[in-house]
Amino acid sequence: MTFWFGLSPILVVGLGTLLLMLAEAFGKSPNSANPSDAGSGRSGELALGAAVVLLVGAAFSIGVWMVGPENLEGLEATRPYLVMDRFTVFFCFVLSLGGAFAALLAGGYLPEHDIDRSEFFPLLLLSTVGAMTLVAAGDMLSLFVALETMSLGVYCMVGLRRSPRAAEAALKYFLLGSFAAALLLFGAVLLYGATAHTDLVGIGQAIKTIGQPGSTVPVAPVLLGLTLTLVGLTFKISAVPFHMWTPDAYEGAPTPATSFMAVAVKAAAFAILLRVLVVAFGDDRLTSWGTGWPPALATLALLSMTVANVVAGRQSSVKRMLAYSSIAHAGYALVGVVATMRSADGQASVLFYLLTYTVSTVGAFGALIYCGSRGAEATSYEDLAGIAKRHPAAALAFSLFLLSLAGLPPTAGFFGKLYVFRAAFDAELYVLAVVGLLNSLVGAYYYLRVMVFMYMREPAPGAQPAVPMKSAFVSSALVLAAVLVFALGIAPGWSLDMAGAAKIVVSAK
Amino acid sequence: MHALQKLFPPTEFALLAVILVLPLIGAIVNGVFGKRLGKEGVTTMALFAIGGSFLASLVSFSLLASAQAAAHAKGSEEAVRFLWKGWEWVRVSGRHDMAQVPLSIDFSVDALSGVMSLVVTGVGFLIHLYSTKYMEKDAGYHRFFAYLNLFVFSMLVLILGNSLPVLFVGWEGVGLCSYLLIGFWFDDEKNAAAGKKAFITNRIGDFGLIVAMALLIYYVGSLDWAGIEGGRSNLLTRVQMWPVGNQVPGTSLLQSSMPSLVEALNRPRYVSAASLVGIALFLGCAGKSAQFPLYVWLPDAMAGPTPVSALIHAATMVTAGVYLVCRMAGVFVLSPAVMFTIALVGAFTALLAASIALVQNDIKKVLAYSTVSQLGYMFLGVGVGAFSAGFFHVLTHAFFKACLFLAAGSVIYAMHKRIHDTDASQDMRNMGGMKKYMPHTFAAFAMAWVAIIGVPGTSGFFSKDEILFKAYTSSVAFPIPDGKLIDPRSGKVALELWGWPSWGPTLLYAMGVLGAMMTAFYMSRLVFGIFWGDFKGWKIVKGWKEPEHDEHHGHHDDHHAGPVEGPKPQESPWQITVPILILGALSIVAGFLNAHPLHIAPLDHFLEPVFKFANGAKDVVAAGSKGAGVVEHPSAHGLMWPLMAPGLLALVAGAGGAFWVYLQQAGGPAKALAEKLPGLHALVYDKWRVDEFYEETIIGAVDSLAEFAVVFDRIVVDGIVARVTAFIVAATGTGLRRLQTGHVQAYAAVMVVGVGGLGWFFVAPHATTTVKPDEATGSYQITAAPGLGYQYRWDSDGDGKPDSDQFGAEASLSVSLERGQQKKVGLEVKNAFERVSKRQVTLFRPKVDASKEGPGVIQIEQGPDGQLRGVMPGQNKPLELRRPPAPPPGPGGPPPGLRMAPPPTRPNPAEPHQHQPGDVH
Repeated sequence: MTFWFGLSPILVVGLGTLLLMLAEAFGKSPNSANPSDAGSGRSGELALGAAVVLLVGAAFSIGVWMVGPENLEGLEATRPYLVMDRFTVFFCFVLSLGGAFAALLAGGYLPEHDIDRSEFFPLLLLSTVGAMTLVAAGDMLSLFVALETMSLGVYCMVGLRRSPRAAEAALKYFLLGSFAAALLLFGAVLLYGATAHTDLVGIGQAIKTIGQPGSTVPVAPVLLGLTLTLVGLTFKISAVPFHMWTPDAYEGAPTPATSFMAVAVKAAAFAILLRVLVVAFGDDRLTSWGTGWPPALATLALLSMTVANVVAGRQSSVKRMLAYSSIAHAGYALVGVVATMRSADGQASVLFYLLTYTVSTVGAFGALIYCGSRGAEATSYEDLAGIAKRHPAAALAFSLFLLSLAGLPPTAGFFGKLYVFRAAFDAELYVLAVVGLLNSLVGAYYYLRVMVFMYMREPAPGAQPAVPMKSAFVSSALVLAAVLVFALGIAPGWSLDMAGAAKIVVSAK
Repeated sequence: MHALQKLFPPTEFALLAVILVLPLIGAIVNGVFGKRLGKEGVTTMALFAIGGSFLASLVSFSLLASAQAAAHAKGSEEAVRFLWKGWEWVRVSGRHDMAQVPLSIDFSVDALSGVMSLVVTGVGFLIHLYSTKYMEKDAGYHRFFAYLNLFVFSMLVLILGNSLPVLFVGWEGVGLCSYLLIGFWFDDEKNAAAGKKAFITNRIGDFGLIVAMALLIYYVGSLDWAGIEGGRSNLLTRVQMWPVGNQVPGTSLLQSSMPSLVEALNRPRYVSAASLVGIALFLGCAGKSAQFPLYVWLPDAMAGPTPVSALIHAATMVTAGVYLVCRMAGVFVLSPAVMFTIALVGAFTALLAASIALVQNDIKKVLAYSTVSQLGYMFLGVGVGAFSAGFFHVLTHAFFKACLFLAAGSVIYAMHKRIHDTDASQDMRNMGGMKKYMPHTFAAFAMAWVAIIGVPGTSGFFSKDEILFKAYTSSVAFPIPDGKLIDPRSGKVALELWGWPSWGPTLLYAMGVLGAMMTAFYMSRLVFGIFWGDFKGWKIVKGWKEPEHDEHHGHHDDHHAGPVEGPKPQESPWQITVPILILGALSIVAGFLNAHPLHIAPLDHFLEPVFKFANGAKDVVAAGSKGAGVVEHPSAHGLMWPLMAPGLLALVAGAGGAFWVYLQQAGGPAKALAEKLPGLHALVYDKWRVDEFYEETIIGAVDSLAEFAVVFDRIVVDGIVARVTAFIVAATGTGLRRLQTGHVQAYAAVMVVGVGGLGWFFVAPHATTTVKPDEATGSYQITAAPGLGYQYRWDSDGDGKPDSDQFGAEASLSVSLERGQQKKVGLEVKNAFERVSKRQVTLFRPKVDASKEGPGVIQIEQGPDGQLRGVMPGQNKPLELRRPPAPPPGPGGPPPGLRMAPPPTRPNPAEPHQHQPGDVH
């Protein structure tokens, strides 16, 4: 029983997915007259179902956390394929939350924009299950399977709209994603060839023996395997220069899918990146500043922050700006990942950052959805001009999430950035921390620019300004996100303690 | 009572949450749903929120009182404090020993905050009730009550916060509400400007408060009340104020020609950290409590609705500064200089504001300057160390000044019947004879009037008399013997505190009495002007009816032509008269809370444990040393009755003078005097032209700075910097955007470049080294960064050729150097791909050994012989004086005893420093 309880955060969502699929397949559609469009028009109930499933999953995560996965007997049986530790449970919660937000947003967005296609919700849930298994993966094989499970669903969600633009986005994402997945797989093969292990712990121990007498582990394939694994995983977090797909895919996808990509996919990828680095590549010789993965990732972090911020400032589409902003945020979080090499708080800072980033980003995309309605979707800055006068609540909500993304107190984003940069300072990564701070300043420019348009500009004469939609789903998601943004900004202590307790500790065997 | 005590244990006193949350709920409900609720709903919500909060305060106060009585019965002198712990907000570093300081959202109530919260919620409730009528016809009714509730919430956060940061949140909150309410009728440019003035002036004070918090974190390492009281002895340390750095820049050029001047210029000057903290805190208090030179915002703040003037700008918010001084009494008494400054500023403000109030005609302006003046009295009280006397005046002033403002509002309300111009309806030259038209208002006004001028038996008499008495008899002595901190290593005086001059008390007392006389004069003038004489507002016509075309009440000029006619001025409705009568009654009887001449002083006894730290200061100086903190004049007790005489004389002179001038001579002498000295009259009438002075000097200077900045901005920033950076950013952005072609092949190509880059990094070897110097022995250890599959070859003699042909596993090398010697060491690294990387490190051992300087922290302790001497932590023998470098980061809290100022921490040069060739670009 404890075994099943331990796996429940994933299992509950998985079972819920199956039920939702049945409901989707056999439920009655209001548009059943048109057989080619079967299943359309039921977004409302399915969104509610998906959100409930995911929130129940989140509740089970909380339950498992409270009991403590280390106290549950028999849970080791799934190792190394699924490692149910506190780290996994923490991310199961974050991912369920991110998925639930996406479901709520979709419940409002899809009917409003006439893409009321119910397959979206089973796809969303399947992707979330994939993401959770990815976080739990302790073996290269389960890692790859989970990664693909997560990605395939997302590819489909991106192309949901069936417009040329969406199809292009989905295809690009699919092609480049397959490319990255192939590299990751190749890396895993090299590592297996060198170490005779596919499980991360085994790989880590084999690497530790290098240099000791009698070791038969060759170095070159390990290094190449490390390189390719890094590429495969940093593609999913969309770090520069593996980010090229991001703006196109984010823009072409329906906005709820975008928010899911920006939040859940990214968080899961960060989680597995941390796990792989700490467990498999935690050897002193690979975490050293001179020669290991920290300088490589630091370079990616610097590039991601700087390039994304520079380009984001020149966008005219808010959605595209948010896409670049998510790249920049990947850079900030990478700073924390690099800090894990020397700072004890590095992991916790990344976990906390991802939590704050999740609620802020979901809120920002949600507010963007909320500001538009059928035929008058809000995408560009101009669309948002003067919206504060017409719909103060929408503008206020949007501003709150933008301030959190920019990192202003007393919002969640402030503490996320604070702890990441503090971890970087602890790890004596001064250049990284200072460049990160400067980049936050640059970032504030384009976040505040949205507020300038909302509060201080009037729509150009003759322009069609965006008209906010009316949807209980979207507004409840926004309220929930706003509460979390404030709660994390005013009382960050408990969640930070949880992030600290969730960090992966490699036992020295 | 027992059930309540069980329900709310002292460490989890959740009742505080109730007190705080009710007004917040009121603010949110009225702010968000106010329009839909309607007037009735808003009224109910607002009154319920404040009333509930008042009841909860009452319960917590009675619990506190009984707990304190129980503690007192057991012989404990500790102040009882009920805590409600919220959560930890954030940890900050910045303490001198680098320990982390947690900042928690905690609330607590003790005697001081208990009384204060009663005043805020109680007076607040009455004023809310009053406002339901006064603001009845205003379009922003719900907005007004949302702000008012929010104000009460912020004020309660300020009072009940258990630490300075929480207090600061409330401090800023009340500032915001004050700004919003001053500018409540923001359609009028003047009101909006007054709001801005208040906000900006307060920023100056808030800056001081922030600086004080930073200093306290550094020296004391705690910001909550218990922590500050426990660690305040750490503030008795010296801080070098001059020169900034090691010497005055440029003086080394004069060294040869004028050595004595250079010596004088570079001689270090110190102040105690306690003085720094105290003056910074007082700057904050002076801003919020409108003391010279930051008082200018308060009179203008009366542009807001009258209930706001009563609640925020008379009874509660402006006394926050006095509250803070009382709260931080333990810190302030460590610096006699700061205490004297407070007392002097208070007395001067009392005089200055009273002199302005003598000639104003706008009744709210008179009351505004009177408030500034009375606040000055409070600061005079706390400045001489009579904290409970100063606080008692806060209490009585809250009653009589709120009553005066509300009663004045009642008069203005009546005047509004026919005079809609704000200024004219508040001008006392348009009033007169109101006694017979508005008997209830008159009764309340008269009660508050006798209290403020100090007629014996009223509350104002007892509180003002106590302050004047203490001004003469109480002073602040050195917290350490003779005010001298002896450096044990040299035997010289390390820091000398500034002590009170002997003429100090006399001067302060004289200023206080003079101020009291002026108070009696201007307040009597106000009362006679409003209530006696003939009504001058309009021509009273019997059976007058409102003309049909007359517009409804507004706050704008209606431009009537000809003499205005109207009915008899009418008494205000009960919602207005009941609160003012209650407040009037309180201002008469509240004096018996602290009637020292009659030996009835329950309030003093109640507050005594809170100020124990200020009066004894036993924790700072060992027992037996002479004088510490607040001391009393040796014959104080006998002086109580004699010192009352000048105060009474001032009352008689002031009130009698006003009676003669304004009633018997109908203002003749005043007019004559004004005509005789037109310059002086105009000067005083224009408030000594302080605003104009600020306009010319400070604001002018800021303006010119701003103009310069604009030019600089236009030419340098916009013209050069912005264009260059914008060009670079735009060019890169455009370039990068061009990469974003939309072609998936291009995207894949970029990825391939990325893979190639990462691959190159891992395939190439990196020779990175860490040098660990030991300057004392001259042994330098160089360590190569470890790498997977790395082999090393060293060149220890720096001749460019490796020591051996073979690569080995040796990852570090030790080199021995003479003093002043320089050496090059080479390293070659070969990795698993058979590629080699080289690196050369230059080592240098300085001639002077920097690592052996003495430690920075020296404790000063009192030996068994009673002498102070310095000891190193962990050692017993005295030390010789050396220039202290970086202090060793010691774990744990600050050791007991006094401390020399630790210098700012620098990174320890002995720590391993990594050389990072081409780190990351």
